[in-house]
Amino acid sequence: MTLPELSEIERKLGEYLEDVWKCIRCGFCNSVCPTSNTSRSYMSSLTSRGRLILLQAYFSNILSKSLKDEEIQELMEYCFGCRRCIEICPAGVRIPNLIWRVKQLNEKPRYLRKFILTHYGELLRLFSKFPRFSNLFLHSHIGKILLELTVGVSRRIDFPSFNHSLEGWINKRRRNNGFRGRLAYFIDVFTNYHEVELGKKIVEFVEKLGYIVVAPPQREAGTLLLEEGLIEEAYRVAKENVENLYDIVQSGAKILTSSPAAYLALKKDYPELLGDTKSRIVSENTIDIIQLLLNEYEDGRIDFEIPLYDRLVYHHSCFTKASGLTKDIRRILMLAGYNLLELDVCCGIGGIWGMNKSNYEISLEIGLDLFNELKRINLPVTSQSETCRIQIKNNALVDVRHPFSFIVDRVKINKE
Amino acid sequence: MDNYFNKVSGKDIEFFEKLLGSRNVSISEVELVANSVDAYPGGFYKPEIVVWPESSEQVGEVLRYAYERKIPVYPKGGGTGLTGTVPIYGGILLSLVKMNKIIEVYEEDMQVRVQPGIIYDRLNKELERYGLFFPPDPSSGSWCTIGGMVASNSSGLKAVKYGTTREYVLGLEVGLPDGRIIRIGSRTFKYSTGFDLLKMMIGSQGTLGVFTEITLRLKNLPEYFQTAIAFFPSVESAVRAVYHIVRRGLDMAAIEFMDEKMMRAVAEYRKIDFPESQAMLLVEAHGSKMAVLETMEKCIHLLEENKSIEVRVAKDVEEREKFWAARKGAYPATLRLGRYMIISDIVVPLSKLYDAVQNSYELGRKYGVHASVIGHFGDGNLHVHWSAGNDRDKVEDLHRANDELARWAIDVGGAVSGEHGIGTEKKKFVKQQFREAFDLMLKIKKLVDPKCILSPGIIFDLEEVIQ
Repeated sequence: MTLPELSEIERKLGEYLEDVWKCIRCGFCNSVCPTSNTSRSYMSSLTSRGRLILLQAYFSNILSKSLKDEEIQELMEYCFGCRRCIEICPAGVRIPNLIWRVKQLNEKPRYLRKFILTHYGELLRLFSKFPRFSNLFLHSHIGKILLELTVGVSRRIDFPSFNHSLEGWINKRRRNNGFRGRLAYFIDVFTNYHEVELGKKIVEFVEKLGYIVVAPPQREAGTLLLEEGLIEEAYRVAKENVENLYDIVQSGAKILTSSPAAYLALKKDYPELLGDTKSRIVSENTIDIIQLLLNEYEDGRIDFEIPLYDRLVYHHSCFTKASGLTKDIRRILMLAGYNLLELDVCCGIGGIWGMNKSNYEISLEIGLDLFNELKRINLPVTSQSETCRIQIKNNALVDVRHPFSFIVDRVKINKE
Repeated sequence: MDNYFNKVSGKDIEFFEKLLGSRNVSISEVELVANSVDAYPGGFYKPEIVVWPESSEQVGEVLRYAYERKIPVYPKGGGTGLTGTVPIYGGILLSLVKMNKIIEVYEEDMQVRVQPGIIYDRLNKELERYGLFFPPDPSSGSWCTIGGMVASNSSGLKAVKYGTTREYVLGLEVGLPDGRIIRIGSRTFKYSTGFDLLKMMIGSQGTLGVFTEITLRLKNLPEYFQTAIAFFPSVESAVRAVYHIVRRGLDMAAIEFMDEKMMRAVAEYRKIDFPESQAMLLVEAHGSKMAVLETMEKCIHLLEENKSIEVRVAKDVEEREKFWAARKGAYPATLRLGRYMIISDIVVPLSKLYDAVQNSYELGRKYGVHASVIGHFGDGNLHVHWSAGNDRDKVEDLHRANDELARWAIDVGGAVSGEHGIGTEKKKFVKQQFREAFDLMLKIKKLVDPKCILSPGIIFDLEEVIQ
């Protein structure tokens, strides 16, 4: 390695360089890392610990390859940022955050992919303006091939259909008097453009509880950018979102989320990325719909009407675990009368990681046991993550929905 | 010694590719580097080639070839070892992770036959359906392999009741350095048929043979358990309580100790409130409900009799998990003190436990390093966490303190390793530990592996074996 290169790499890793040395190589991360438990991960270099050893070797001058080297970068791709390792690492190594910084060193030309990823919020917004045309295009053979050639998304993926945006629907909506205060819905792209019906139900429900719901100006959560190592771009998105949301929080509103990626971004990623007071204040004022429901229940404002005690499979998505919402979701589902069978297994999708042509097969391999188990059980499934739901639906062929969808019809709003 | 072994040549690579298939052979730099360390904070030692056999026969062929060519072979499981069992002479890294099947469960006999590469937790997960388990419970259980556990005779938090891996190995299929595959042991609990070669192989850390199949005896999953933590005004009173519990013959599954420094670190890390005290014991009993309740009642009585300030009995599974989380939080809590830390693994007679703790503190003061103590006190095993924070200049002092404690342990009739093994880290103590018996160990090594191709540099120095 040359000195200028080393100092450039050290600069780009920043405070995460210290995490390289915190790693004690115990291998605990391997035990929970989805990509470290596949038919390929008998090779140590394809495991989470292997990646950390390579980083230690690089900075010890043992590894002759640069971290910018294509082979090293390909190995880093095996971390899709599920964050299961953060919980288990005894040394407190922030593994995904570190790997994102290493991915940042990737010099492979990928202009189109980079352009699309940094503008995917705007592109989806555009598609949602003409949903009929967009759906025809995206579901057509040519559309799928084009998507594979340009962004690398496997043609075998069945994209969910586009709808007119939820944001637009909220902003056109007549407001109630909102005696309980204002909620600013940080929607993120999937609910905004695809699963709009879920978003509408959430809005209608919280309005019934007495809240005003607004859709502030917002961009995508940007988790995708972090996972791609596009740190500067993720920083810009985070900054823009925080600026927009901070003003609303200052005016007394709370930020509402329903997507685990959106919640995680506001709660943890943005404060870590920006390290400023505004992002911390936004974080402190962010609440997920499930937490809001639990609060309402604790305060006696809602109750549950249980027609019968149903069995339901609760799939723990990686992001739900990382955001610490697992317990809350479990509790509310149980309060709503569900007899839960919990499956804490990664489905392999990893945001859009598993949708990439190069990762598609391995993504299915990671999820295979889960799909088989779900087929065998043959019960409805709930998972908080949007992409997990796509993966489960496509491969286990079961009814899978957001937890809110299973709860909302059982909630009884108590009169004040 | 640099030229004693042959280097891996192009022809050797061709041979292995033909034998194992090209996907089971790697000379890629990244793979070599990723296999150049274990969990011991030592240097990087790259093998020249990594191979992944899928059967006993393939292991035998790799060994036979390496023996003929005089190329070193380092067997490897999960790579979670803490003593530096790494390819210090390069050569072949023989990874056994693809040999990870359960060959047969003998439910009625309460036994299982496995390949060496199966991960401890995965084996127990599979055994759950039979109501059985393999008890040693090392803290690396989520990634360590059964082969690695046998090779280092590892154990864990519940050794006081269940013993170490050694107590469970009934039979082994072993690849000898010259490639012969032999079977030792049997599927019975007892036999009287000459030398106990089985016990000789256990804990040999890859220096005598490569395990290709392992038959283990199993235990029934406990029907009931109860856990309690107790706080003491002094280390002495806690140690005395341990002594009385053991002396009374109470059937405890765990008697874990934590000193005040460790408690402070854990309290901060896990955000737990501990009462003002100098030491903590975690005790647990397993068995039938009646037996557990009776044992725990007696145990709590003894804890109180030995001046325990407070005893908290876990009310439910959740509280039990909290107690264990506190105990298991010791390692990460000390890691947060800084980057430079080593852990001792000494084991001493129970009567020396108090002295061991006091000695650790004195050594900590002498060398200006932080010493905090946890231990599986029921079986006399202490892990002193020596930390120098982020002060690189103090690293040598960490080792000095650790070495001095290890020598003291040997002098008082203990051992330098309770459950981690020797590897390269504690090699310097082997002679001191075994004295005259070391020559016999060396002769056995020379007899089994005269060319010293198996794990050279581990336990023994290469020079000693080949001279």
